[in-house]
Amino acid sequence: MSILVVLEGSGSRWHPLSWEALSAGQRLAVESGLPLAAAVIGEAGDAASKQLDHVWTATHPLLAGYTADGYAAAVEQVIQHVKPTLVLFPHTYQVRDFAPKVATRFGQVLASDVIRLRLEDGRPVAVRQLFQGKLTSEVRFSGSGPVFVSIQAGAYRADQSQPGSAAVEAVPITLDPAAIRSRAEEPFREAAGTVDLTAADIIVSVGRGIREKDNIALVEELAQALGGELAASRPICDNGWLPMDRQVGSSGQTVSPKLYVAVGISGAIQHLVGMKGSKTIVAINKDSEAPIFEVADYGIVGDLFEVVPALVAEIRKAKGS
Amino acid sequence: MKIVVAVKQVPARDSQLRLAADGRWIDDSELSFEINEPDAYALEEALQLKEKKGGEVIVLCAGPARAATSIREALAKGADRAIHIEEDKLESVDTLGVARLLAKAIEAEKPDLVLTGLQSDDLGYGQTGVVLGELLGLPHATIVMQVELDEAEVRVKRELEGGWFQYVTMPLPAVLTIQSGINKLRYATLMGIKKAKSKPVQNLSIAQLGGLPVPVAERTRVYLPERSKQTELIPGEPREAAAKLVEKLRFEARVI
Amino acid sequence: MVSIAPALPKTRGGAFLLEDRRPDEIFTPEDFTEEHHAVAKATDEFWTEEIAPNLDAIQHQEPGVAARILRKSAELGLTAVVVPERYGGMEMDLVSAMIVAEGVARDGSYAAWHGAHSGIGTLPLLLFGTEEQKQKYLTKLCSGEMIGAYCLTEAHAGSDALAARCRADLSEDGASYVLNGQKMWITNAGAADLFTVFAKIGGEQFSAFLVERSWPGVTIGAEEKKMGIKGSSTCAVYFDNVRVPAENLLGEIGRGHIIAFNILNYGRLKLGPFAAGGAKQVLAESLKYARERVAFGHPIADFGLIRHKLAEMAIRLFAAESMIYRVAGLIEAHLGGAGWNQPDAAQRELKAVEEFAAECSYVKIFASEMLDYVADEGVQIHGGYGYHQDYLVERAYRDSRINRIFEGTNEINRMLATGLLLKRAQRGQLPLVEAVKRLQSEILSGSSINGSADDAALVSNAKKAALLVLGAAYQRFLTDLAEQQEILAGITDISMNAFAAESVLLRARKANSELALKMASVFVREVMELIETTARTLLAACSEGDNLRLNLAVLRRFTRFEPVNAIELRRQIAIRLLATGRYAVA
Repeated sequence: MSILVVLEGSGSRWHPLSWEALSAGQRLAVESGLPLAAAVIGEAGDAASKQLDHVWTATHPLLAGYTADGYAAAVEQVIQHVKPTLVLFPHTYQVRDFAPKVATRFGQVLASDVIRLRLEDGRPVAVRQLFQGKLTSEVRFSGSGPVFVSIQAGAYRADQSQPGSAAVEAVPITLDPAAIRSRAEEPFREAAGTVDLTAADIIVSVGRGIREKDNIALVEELAQALGGELAASRPICDNGWLPMDRQVGSSGQTVSPKLYVAVGISGAIQHLVGMKGSKTIVAINKDSEAPIFEVADYGIVGDLFEVVPALVAEIRKAKGS
Repeated sequence: MKIVVAVKQVPARDSQLRLAADGRWIDDSELSFEINEPDAYALEEALQLKEKKGGEVIVLCAGPARAATSIREALAKGADRAIHIEEDKLESVDTLGVARLLAKAIEAEKPDLVLTGLQSDDLGYGQTGVVLGELLGLPHATIVMQVELDEAEVRVKRELEGGWFQYVTMPLPAVLTIQSGINKLRYATLMGIKKAKSKPVQNLSIAQLGGLPVPVAERTRVYLPERSKQTELIPGEPREAAAKLVEKLRFEARVI
Repeated sequence: MVSIAPALPKTRGGAFLLEDRRPDEIFTPEDFTEEHHAVAKATDEFWTEEIAPNLDAIQHQEPGVAARILRKSAELGLTAVVVPERYGGMEMDLVSAMIVAEGVARDGSYAAWHGAHSGIGTLPLLLFGTEEQKQKYLTKLCSGEMIGAYCLTEAHAGSDALAARCRADLSEDGASYVLNGQKMWITNAGAADLFTVFAKIGGEQFSAFLVERSWPGVTIGAEEKKMGIKGSSTCAVYFDNVRVPAENLLGEIGRGHIIAFNILNYGRLKLGPFAAGGAKQVLAESLKYARERVAFGHPIADFGLIRHKLAEMAIRLFAAESMIYRVAGLIEAHLGGAGWNQPDAAQRELKAVEEFAAECSYVKIFASEMLDYVADEGVQIHGGYGYHQDYLVERAYRDSRINRIFEGTNEINRMLATGLLLKRAQRGQLPLVEAVKRLQSEILSGSSINGSADDAALVSNAKKAALLVLGAAYQRFLTDLAEQQEILAGITDISMNAFAAESVLLRARKANSELALKMASVFVREVMELIETTARTLLAACSEGDNLRLNLAVLRRFTRFEPVNAIELRRQIAIRLLATGRYAVA
């Protein structure tokens, strides 16, 4: 019985969520006394200086760029080699693209976007959200293959992953070029990020509750009064009401300002993962049950069309004095 | 071009959810249901591809009898026919099991393209499409924002994290999971609703697909989230609440 | 077209007073087909995505907004629900049209746009137009290329529309009519492209014409400043020597009143779903406000008097809705599933609606007064905020008021409805006299009294009370009864409420939900009290001495009932509604 954390990135370039997943794995290893290893596609690099029993590396010319077929095959071979009972992934876009494939090959389901993982009688119990965070569920596993879990952004803290040293060992990988069916082009960004929300101290973010494009001016006024940047949840940018580069959340930017004001944002998990690291969170929403209040420090339940103008007036008054 | 779109019927977005008595799912007796939002975008994408390239759009849905409403809606929007895997106990089947049922139904159709939403609004596993690709032996792409079809290939724009995108090309047939917002959803027209009545819906029973799959990942408990953080709700009329909030932000949180 | 008709018995107008029905014999929303539900959902989506975000723009008459939305709704088929496919319509049933009307009517202003175009703007052409006229204009009305309006009312001809002064004179070459005059309160006038205009040929023969806005001599007045439905377009329309090609005469010369009255029947029925749609919106807002507004440390939804209001709003809405769809079902059943393929399809449509003209009037009266009640209590629940323009209920309150005025004032409709029943009886189309006689002999023999106190017995007794008063009134006034406005209106109130009570009870039994049965239980008794009061007043005006005493004694037995704990029932109804957050019947 052992735990394997599949990290994203290699050498000195890592996906930040890799260390959160590692942190989850380390915590579980301590609780269970099980050995913990990491798998890296590429060079072990920084992973070798983490508290791990092993770092397994998979290298192959066909793994130079990401493809679902290539990565799935590589991770499958690492798992067959290492034979872990529990496989952890960070819940990244890339993991979402290939990890379910791997799990399927072992006759398993990837318990995705898990917020907590614990052992009960030595068996893993995964806690994950349903209905975009409105409910929580527990998942237990049966079946013969290893248990597959991906860890939600922000569920474990990267800075709590323990340093140490690990033995690095390569797993021999065999890949058939014909088995890699897709060709990927270079990643690109649209409308080169004119706004770097990550640098902002104060962000005022607007969501579906604003109802109409013209109403956004109201929230913009609040951002101006606070001296902050205007941002939005996904639906607002999908509608073209604000440019994509102002989007906060899993498909937009991940921010952690001193003050984050969420206006008319219900708090779908895709949005929360992009902002829940903010120091102080204020939520204004008409629905007191909205998940945004799960992460907010201060909340006003009310009509944003009344609350926001009142807030602008109060801020101006306070700043004027 | 033959396109299968797998759609799921989920509780409407603004539903007030109540837990089921057994604590393992929700009480869905009084909810209204709709097509899972990303699946609706997948359907729209399929319809637009058909309008450009010709062919047939087949809606595939696994769900209880009530899912028929969503199937008719999809037909009313322009799908040509539908397959309904009708089963009441799908809640107890895991993602892999449902994908196996869907895959069996898809195999018989030999489509050129399989589309589905990138995730469901209820369970949110976000992997049915990927698993379908694996089970069907087809290449796939996830979180697709644009689809360009060729004779034998499909080039898609995938969304990566943090505002990045990437084009990926793969041979047909292929499975694509569609991101919300890829297109503009059309309305069902009354004429479409009328025509939908006479469009064929094939009902498949679980027995025809080899029986109810045994789950390997079981949802054993559902509950209301515990608050990880204590939110201080500020009461009062808007002006009063605003004033109090500003005071707290200045002197308590000291962020302004 | 799949018809709901085969499942329902074909009955005659007014027959409800004489015959008892089973739940499966009336049409109710519980009988909606999958297609009906899909139509409701499509309309709901259109409301949410297209209308709701533009409500302020519509309200402020921002140029082009409402017309643009109306045209877009035409693309989806929402404005031509019953029109045959060959003219670009949807060829769906009346129930579907009612469902669409309800769905777009959550705002009074937009309801006016929709109703004026798809109802009075389109139906005259559909029902009375020649094939050429339909090919030329109806297709464009259906596609939204043209917006329609209906010009009947004039400054000096409102309820008495036939007093119109607008005139049309045949040109010397006989090729055209020259139209002169002015029309008032024309809904959609600001954007309409095609007007159905009533005028007297040669100053005498009341007739209808299809008039294009673009023709020389047609001018549109300024927007009227109205109390409510401010987002609807209401203007005067002036005709100054307008040359109308002779082929644009609609229907027959001198038979314009046939068009006008028949269209009014439709309009009265359609007012039902418009009112129901508006009321549902107000109720939902009020439920929400009651849950959120805290007073004395409690949400006001906890208070008995607020719960009373919420429950009563829902009960009356339930009653109106039950009547609306029952009448739609009566008409559909009368049509018997006949489609638009028969050559006499338009005649059949007209006959079917005319058959139930009295029931259409009941719907008009009951639904408009229901909406007034709901809007008024909606304001009351909102307290001071309800008086503020930022709140939906303030607007709904003002918007509601017109419904008691247009499509024939409720006073005109109250006289019409009973007048129609009497006329049908005279023509031998309704065995009213026989029924009254039978009742009278039953009374004398003592066998007429149904001792049972269940809801069904109450409904049956309500109808008997109506017959009792009808008999007394007829004996007293004979043919002069037609001139007794107060008596006619009173009989209408009794008959209408008996119809409402029966519709509610049968529907509740069909729905078989605790909530529906509770609402029926409260409503039926409420109606009995109302009937008793009205009947007493009428009987006192129709009989005296021993006769009066006998009548009153009989009435007392008809209207006697054991009360239920309506206070507790209303509380329970309100609690259920608050949990659901909107109007519901289960």
